[in-house]
Amino acid sequence: MTPPPESPTGAGSQRAPDIAEALDALRAPFHSEGGATFLSDLTVGELILLEQIGFRPVEIVSGSGSASWYPQFTTAGPEGQMWGSAIASAIAEARAGIYSEVTQFGANGVVAMRIEFEREPANQLTCTMLGTAVRDERHDGSISTKSPGPRGHDRTQLFTTNLSARDFHLLTRAGYGAAGIVMGVSVVGFGARSAAQSLGLARENFELEGQTNALYSAREQAMGMMEREAASLGADGVVSVNLSERPINTMLTHAVELVAIGTAVRRGAGRHRSLDPHLQLALNDPAPETFVSG
Amino acid sequence: MTGTGNYSGPPPEGVVGEFHAVPRVRNTPTSNLSVAEAAAVRRVGLSPAGFVMGSAVMQLASAITGNIYGGGGFGGAMGLGGGMFSGYISGARSQGLYAESYPCVHGFGFGANADHYGFNVENAVLADSIFEGYRLALARLRDEAIEVGAHGVIGVEVGFENMIGSLGTATFLATGTAVSHRDSAPLHPPFLTNASGQNFERLIGLGYVAAGLAVGVGVVHVQPNCLARGNLTAVGPNRQIPAAVGAARGRARQRLAGTGHRMGEGVVHTEWSDRRFVRYGESWNQLALAVGTAVRRYTTELEPPIPQPVVSLRP
Repeated sequence: MTPPPESPTGAGSQRAPDIAEALDALRAPFHSEGGATFLSDLTVGELILLEQIGFRPVEIVSGSGSASWYPQFTTAGPEGQMWGSAIASAIAEARAGIYSEVTQFGANGVVAMRIEFEREPANQLTCTMLGTAVRDERHDGSISTKSPGPRGHDRTQLFTTNLSARDFHLLTRAGYGAAGIVMGVSVVGFGARSAAQSLGLARENFELEGQTNALYSAREQAMGMMEREAASLGADGVVSVNLSERPINTMLTHAVELVAIGTAVRRGAGRHRSLDPHLQLALNDPAPETFVSG
Repeated sequence: MTGTGNYSGPPPEGVVGEFHAVPRVRNTPTSNLSVAEAAAVRRVGLSPAGFVMGSAVMQLASAITGNIYGGGGFGGAMGLGGGMFSGYISGARSQGLYAESYPCVHGFGFGANADHYGFNVENAVLADSIFEGYRLALARLRDEAIEVGAHGVIGVEVGFENMIGSLGTATFLATGTAVSHRDSAPLHPPFLTNASGQNFERLIGLGYVAAGLAVGVGVVHVQPNCLARGNLTAVGPNRQIPAAVGAARGRARQRLAGTGHRMGEGVVHTEWSDRRFVRYGESWNQLALAVGTAVRRYTTELEPPIPQPVVSLRP
């Protein structure tokens, strides 16, 4: 790997950037040469990281999905499955929307995807995704450099990731590629507490084993579902897994809801490449705490 | 600029309308750049010229008053139990706006129980009000930059907030640090960017220059049907909320591209936000808002630098 340049500006090139030349470019009216305007929610630093590994931004793409489920009274078997399936379908619909827009704009994938959940009234959840679609312009054959057409796109050639541009840059330099966003959802019910426990009148400390087991069970089921999705994409593993669990213990509903979302990754044709990071000792002192509460 | 929602021009250049702000009488150079940002700006040959601001307080037009879409308006649709609903949808569509109806999944029609009936319709009136607020604030920010002889403004922060106790109004505020280049004539108009000083330096190093701020706004009014409002007797996937989010985002993206397209090859550093704005009972306005920096390529001879991974020893 080439050692890093001293200055961040124009470091990889022969010539230095010239601010006067840059300002002169603004004096003349801009005439688009017919090309589409690219849109990106990446910072300039992130843009550089992507350009450096051969990816260019195309468009901001989004997808969203929403689903509701019946109120839970027992959370046993089918009811829990319906609850989990509804959440999974909202995520899947949002993801499908992203793939659809990526194909529409002729891009190869999406980086730095924001995934957000909005809890609607009653038993309803909306999932929204937003990220910058990028086109792979590498010419080393590591990923197809052909721009996908609007129709008949092989979805296995597209990728989505919730990795930041920085992490995606590192992943690519290490010899891996993102295969896609994968998810697992599980809802597992547990037994209701006794009336005395519910009223805060328990006389002893003890573990609520049913709830602990439900959490473990939900974790296993959700991770298992996520792994199956990753396997279907031919991935070697899943990174950047975001696990969110939501226990609900109301008068009628006793269940734990668990959602796992991560990025499936595939190793490229070559072997893993070490990044060989340099150790860095910062000489500046940490900022003093001016105000201390209390 | 009201009604159609199809405005896609760039923010205006130069002085805005008849408005005259309280005159600036200070001469001391000021800046809201951090020391590191100021150092980055100086490395590319610019120097801070002054802290600048632009603002506008807007009365947001209300779609409830029935002043849009062929006279139907939200008031008509709600007050008559949906009786003017179909005209309202078609009126919006005839203006090129997004509108969709979402019938009650239980099969109730307008007359039987309009409360179950849902619709999405693009609220171009509110979108235009917000866009106009941004336009005025940014133009006044630029006017102040011109006053101090600047070539551009870096680190622009722009946003709006509801004024406390004043329903239906919004205060738009844009701030930043004007910068100038000693050896060249002033730019008319000066550039604006929401990038920090360090990111501006990186942008110049990549062969791009900031040309101006691009803004995109999209608003869709959502009157949820029984499924979308969480009625406990109807469950399953609903298309209404995702469609509203998609339409609002799509319009914001279209406007962002429209304003950016006139200034440069692309838009970076887009700050994107989605909110539910101005709720009326169970309905709301789904707002998508995007502000980014339009960039123009001034040379193709600069290569992106290769960043070196480091592990910090600092705890």
